[in-house]
Amino acid sequence: MEKLHFREYFKNYLYDLEDFITIYENHLHVFNYEKLNKLSDTMIVLKIKNVSVTIEGINLKIKQMTKQELLINGKIKKVEFQDE
Amino acid sequence: MNNKIVWLKIKVKNYYNVLIKLNELGINIFDNKKDKDNLYIKTKYKDYERIKKYLVSYKVELYATSGIDKILEIIKKYVVFTSATIISIILLILANNIVFKIEVKTTNRDIQNKVLKELNNNGLKTFTLKKPHKEIEKIVSKILDDNKDILEWLEIKYDGLIMIVNVTEKTIIKDEKEYPYCNIIASSDAKITALNIYRGIPLKEINDYVKKGEVILSGSIIHNEEVKNTICASGEIYGEVWYKVKVEVPFIEEYIEYTNKNRYNLNIKIDDNNYQIFKSRIQNKKNEITNLYKLNDFEINLVKEKEYVKKVRKLSKDEVYEKALKLGIEKINLKLDKDEEILLKKVLKKELNDSTIYLEVFIVTKENIGVRQIVEEDANDNKLNSESIQ
Repeated sequence: MEKLHFREYFKNYLYDLEDFITIYENHLHVFNYEKLNKLSDTMIVLKIKNVSVTIEGINLKIKQMTKQELLINGKIKKVEFQDE
Repeated sequence: MNNKIVWLKIKVKNYYNVLIKLNELGINIFDNKKDKDNLYIKTKYKDYERIKKYLVSYKVELYATSGIDKILEIIKKYVVFTSATIISIILLILANNIVFKIEVKTTNRDIQNKVLKELNNNGLKTFTLKKPHKEIEKIVSKILDDNKDILEWLEIKYDGLIMIVNVTEKTIIKDEKEYPYCNIIASSDAKITALNIYRGIPLKEINDYVKKGEVILSGSIIHNEEVKNTICASGEIYGEVWYKVKVEVPFIEEYIEYTNKNRYNLNIKIDDNNYQIFKSRIQNKKNEITNLYKLNDFEINLVKEKEYVKKVRKLSKDEVYEKALKLGIEKINLKLDKDEEILLKKVLKKELNDSTIYLEVFIVTKENIGVRQIVEEDANDNKLNSESIQ
């Protein structure tokens, strides 16, 4: 996973970002998330700092998962951010 | 060990719940798959220990390893097969690159030994690895340089496991010793039928009769009854030679009869050494050999051993006469060269008694009757010594 997102890490280093979400055609990459709250094939809810991120889509699946990062696979329809 | 990547199989009812639990435990998942009842995750071995410890209600088992560990695991599982394969490959590579035999193609034994010694000194030996083309070229040049006086050309090539060395030796034109004085004389009593004169003065003509030792071609150049010069006479003289052959043959003849009892055996031939695989149980036998496999000097042959018994029979008068005549002709044929032949045969005398037949056969042959007689002049007493060369 680290190899795949070299560009994002580089950007993160340059802009001094602590966390970010990158959306690809059928993938979504989350860096520095805190907690995975809810998981189903249509919705994933996770927490990044004080923001709750809701990802809606079809056939959602966690492809890769570490303490810091998530790679979600599936058709992404909506990403919603909500302050807690 | 702990950082080893493994695949785990977890029996699950709800895929998503398990993933959330794994996330809470901080398990790293590098890949995952699911089927109807199971979740397969790719993780580190240390995480497997944690999953077993904390997810006690789930059935977790080690499914497979990956990467180098997977390869090592397969090798471990099929240790005999993999080791046999590796050994076979190594042996095959070695066998294809080892020289088992060196063949120096020349009829000159001295040159052959010399070349073999040179090859040996330059590291080209049997049961060593084949050398690359460039190195071979260097060795060939070196050998040719070191043996300029005896070697004209040398080529080394590989034919399978054999190194073939083609050698052309330097042609040293040796002048045939030129004798100052020699004659051509008759080797036996004969009637001359052909005279091919290369050098010398003919003292006889075609149809002349000559006695053994009589000079036919002379090396003396005579002028006014005085020997002016001497040369070495040479030529081919053919003549009719007569023989009287005496043959005695018994009526009783021993012959062999096959018993129809045959045995098969295997024979391995390496160079000129024969090795029989099975012990032969037949005492009197004749072998029929069929080649099954041949590779250079290595042969495998099927041997059919046919048993025979020795028997005795009495020949009829005609049979014994034919046999005796044939024997007589064979005796003369053995003396003849390729360009010589029997012109006539006639039975002079035939005597029969109870046990044998006695024949006297007159045979006329066409033979090369000219032999060189070297005449050496003795400086001390000025005598002529003669020596004949057959």
